[in-house]
Amino acid sequence: MTETAPDLDRLRGGAAPRNHDARTIAALTANPGCARRGVMDAAGVDKDAVARALGFPAPFGQSQFAITRGNVFEQQVKADGCAELLTLLREGLGLDVPEVAYDDLETVAGNEGRELRHIRTRRLLARALETGEGTLFDHPLLRLDIGGRPAYLEPDVIAFQFAGRFHVIEIKSFAVVDGQAEPEQVAAAARQSAVYVLALRDLVAELGHDPERVSHEVFLVCPENFSNRPAATPVDVRPQLAVLRRQLARLTRIDDILAELPADLTFAPGERLAEAVRTVEARYAPECMAGCEMAFFCRDEARACGATGALGRSVRDDLGGLDTIGTALALADGDLDPAADLAETAAQLRLASLLRAEALENAEARRAAEAPPAPAAAPAAAIPESRAS
Amino acid sequence: MSALSALARLEAVRAGRAQPVATVRHVHIADAPLVLVPLKLAGEAAAPLAVMAGAAPDAPSLLIVPQPRNRDQRFAFAASLARLVLNHVETHRGEVEELPGKDGEVRLRYGDAPQLLVPNRGGVRFLRLLGRSTRFRSTEGAYAVDAAVPVLGRWLTWFADRHDHPGSSLLGAATELLRLHWATGQSSLEDGNLAALMGWIDPPDGLDGPSAAALAEDPVRWPPAGPATDPTFDNEVLAPAIAAYDRSGGDARARERLRAAIETQVTPTWELMWRAVGLLRALPEAAGVARRWERDRDAFTHYHQTFGEAYPQARRDPPVRAARRLHDLERAQEAYEAQRAFDDPLVMAEQRLTGAAFGGVVTECHPERLDETGKRPKLRPLLRVATGDPVRLEPGTPVCSAARPALKGRIVEIGGGGVLVELTGGLGRRLVPEAGVVPVEGDRVCFTSRTEGSFGIARFPDREDTPWTHGGPPEDYVPTADDAREDWS
Amino acid sequence: MSGSPDALEARIAELRSGVRRAMAAGDRAEARRLRAALRDAESAWDDAVLGAVDDGGPRDAPGLVPVREQVHQVLTLLGAPAAPKLVGSVHAAFFGGDLPGNRVTSLRRDEERSFRTAPYARPFYLCAALTADLLAPARGLLTVSTWPLERRIVGPLSARTDFLTSAIRLSEHARRGTPSPDARRLLWRFAANIPGAATGTVGTVEPDVLAAAARAELDVHRDADLRRRAAAAARAREGLDDAERLFGSRLRAHPGGRAHTGERDR
Repeated sequence: MTETAPDLDRLRGGAAPRNHDARTIAALTANPGCARRGVMDAAGVDKDAVARALGFPAPFGQSQFAITRGNVFEQQVKADGCAELLTLLREGLGLDVPEVAYDDLETVAGNEGRELRHIRTRRLLARALETGEGTLFDHPLLRLDIGGRPAYLEPDVIAFQFAGRFHVIEIKSFAVVDGQAEPEQVAAAARQSAVYVLALRDLVAELGHDPERVSHEVFLVCPENFSNRPAATPVDVRPQLAVLRRQLARLTRIDDILAELPADLTFAPGERLAEAVRTVEARYAPECMAGCEMAFFCRDEARACGATGALGRSVRDDLGGLDTIGTALALADGDLDPAADLAETAAQLRLASLLRAEALENAEARRAAEAPPAPAAAPAAAIPESRAS
Repeated sequence: MSALSALARLEAVRAGRAQPVATVRHVHIADAPLVLVPLKLAGEAAAPLAVMAGAAPDAPSLLIVPQPRNRDQRFAFAASLARLVLNHVETHRGEVEELPGKDGEVRLRYGDAPQLLVPNRGGVRFLRLLGRSTRFRSTEGAYAVDAAVPVLGRWLTWFADRHDHPGSSLLGAATELLRLHWATGQSSLEDGNLAALMGWIDPPDGLDGPSAAALAEDPVRWPPAGPATDPTFDNEVLAPAIAAYDRSGGDARARERLRAAIETQVTPTWELMWRAVGLLRALPEAAGVARRWERDRDAFTHYHQTFGEAYPQARRDPPVRAARRLHDLERAQEAYEAQRAFDDPLVMAEQRLTGAAFGGVVTECHPERLDETGKRPKLRPLLRVATGDPVRLEPGTPVCSAARPALKGRIVEIGGGGVLVELTGGLGRRLVPEAGVVPVEGDRVCFTSRTEGSFGIARFPDREDTPWTHGGPPEDYVPTADDAREDWS
Repeated sequence: MSGSPDALEARIAELRSGVRRAMAAGDRAEARRLRAALRDAESAWDDAVLGAVDDGGPRDAPGLVPVREQVHQVLTLLGAPAAPKLVGSVHAAFFGGDLPGNRVTSLRRDEERSFRTAPYARPFYLCAALTADLLAPARGLLTVSTWPLERRIVGPLSARTDFLTSAIRLSEHARRGTPSPDARRLLWRFAANIPGAATGTVGTVEPDVLAAAARAELDVHRDADLRRRAAAAARAREGLDDAERLFGSRLRAHPGGRAHTGERDR
């Protein structure tokens, strides 16, 4: 780290840091190349508050019905010492779990401090790895190195020790109907679980054990069909782990980004907030709206400078990677002589433009020829056309 | 996506208004489609909250479930919706046509079929789940439901299945239908918002596309088109209203207030739906639409006629049926794409851009050329077409005319800004072409290498010959008592 | 507030939008203010359109037996620490009637206050279960002050042993009479989650079979669990004052310090 770089506490403007959670992790894996999100998350900045202060509040409110449903289901599965969960493991998955211990790691004697919780998580898992003691570890507090900085993770999961290995158990309240759930929700759950598997593996390795003692097979517990009855599905998250590892490795090192920034930079509320945020470059894509609180601000910025990426990554790809709408249109119109490396893209755009024009002109001509010009025909057009059969 | 549709988006940005990506309408729009705007309770798979339904813009019915967690109320709702939907199905069969069928038998086809329209894909998904959660219900015994409920379930399941079928117009999602014809200056993700999409296509007076879309993103002004509701509506309006209803013990006035609150969330979407229907209707219908609607009517006729003998659709398809279905869908997809290109030069432009088709002016024509190398002379006219398209076809590739797919040919040579085509079919039976069949010098023509029906007919084993690799012949699916009793909570 | 129903409706719509906008923008104070105005407008609308109606209010049926005694009754039956939710379902199943959940949850605080004001003034107190490692109050578990400390302390295995113990106690209780449908449902919930306990048709439970199955699994857990509970109880007797022994010790801990020794003598 260079001496001139702003430190993370100053970036936060003195506010308490926020932990990584499911959303920041989703954003992380969805858009690893965004420096703005990277820096703000590394500093634990309250992005929601920043977005609101900028006049672009993130529409991530949750319905109380959804929250209640999620809580009720989770409580039900975990009630009475995880009685239902245990039955799922024993009967649903056929695992031989004679003795069951349950350790709640969400608070340490009423204290929710994350250092304390992390220490306790480490201690209990270390003991479990050595002696095999313990079965269900609820709400472990993990740490993951993100962009060269350790980040705390607060997974809403259970680490389940079975036959010397740990499995991540994630309880989700979306329904699995006839063995199928909404693909986006399953994908998101698998992605999140992979993050937790990785963080658990880091911890296990730190404790001097083989990281493979954390299984790539996680258990997803969801309501079955339209009932409240839980069902467990094993999910192999190896593909997600591979993607995640690659993206974490690709993550621009936060320290390198910080080194480029002015030393007095801060995201504290105030008149210069927007300017400060713009200092750190964003990489907006429409997918950001599903996971990042800053998305509406970044979208506005991307639209204002006519970025093709604001229309979607595939649009940008279809335009041969051209960044700005103005350039692409000028090439399509034939108003701009392309540089050598853009020759192919330019030719395709020019042709596309001519083909569009030709088709639309012909259609217009045909319509003009077919439509009787007399205004008397207007009422007829209002009658729905009769069906050919 | 392609450079062509990407360019359409850029043009939309420049114009501040959606741009056409089709010159004709590729879907059937019924005279009186049944528009359904469903809402569900957040956090639940398929707990209905309300549906606004009707086949005319000025006659919506609003059905609600005042306490969406109450099983009895849910089934009462399902029964009301069933009456509405089933009535629509039964009154949209039209006249029965008699057609010659196999083995000299007469085949029937209804002259019409019911069309359901929902705002978006979420609406389709909701109907599918509602179908799944109602089709196995028993109408007798301890958990008896209204006789119409399982019938509704089976029909909704059938509509949702048909939606998967490319080119079918029986169940349509407005956002998908609109996007088939217009490109906006926003991302496809944002196009999922019906109000924003309509804002780009048909902005209100005084607004352009971007400003109309921006307003549409305010959920207070433009409630989401469902089935999910806006969380602030849930928390600030719906939850207190449901709680008040519960406290009142089902009081009619509390129910009325709840209804009025829900109405504010569906009415704007209801109006958008009919505006969308109007916009689509105003487009000239593509030539292939009637033919595809005929397939829809065939499917409807078959399902309607065999409804009485059939069981509810199984929870999962047995292997042979699944494989056949997949194959059918792939074939339908290909035929649908080919038809759309033939019907619409703007769709054909995609093929020209990628070099699978080419268009231009005929510069040289030998309409009566004969190929006399074989035993008997064959009529093989030659055409040279001047084109600027980047043709990526090899000599020998079979092609057909976009304007008249029956007119077939093959490429002889490419080069010098032109393509030489030898015509091989669709010329008539004699050694001189029928009048007007062969294009003449100066005509604009377009030939494509993509033809309908190049996907062969696949052979699948009969059900009883299902190979052991696929689990052997499946048991007949018979709904069980468990199916009927399944929780719906 | 006054006005025609139309004017009121317009105002209600406007206030609703206002509340939702304020919440979306994260302005809670403004949302609270508007929400209050909204409730006023709604009740004015009710008065204007529907005439004055009894809105019901929270109809808290005055029970004959105070909540703390009902909870005591249930815990005595179960004979093991229990979460408020379980207490509620056992009460409904075996004693009839609903226990208001929020009242049960707030009980522990009230009891602690009462004990600290006048220690041992009552024959029993409803108090916390203590965690074996830190002797802190375990989240969401209720116990009775008169129980031996070993029973009131919970270690990692105790969740399961207590569940099994409760199953045995409930099945013994059920055998003595004809269980209500609610009770049968509750027993089924236990049976469904204990290996070998659900032998008959779905939904029906044989109390003897349930008890036997629970005992069999309890045998696997009991000794280890008891050892840990006893060790922790000894520490509690030594190190905690009376109130702490009932309601748990708040963390005085510094990581690795005294408060954590418990974990080492497991």
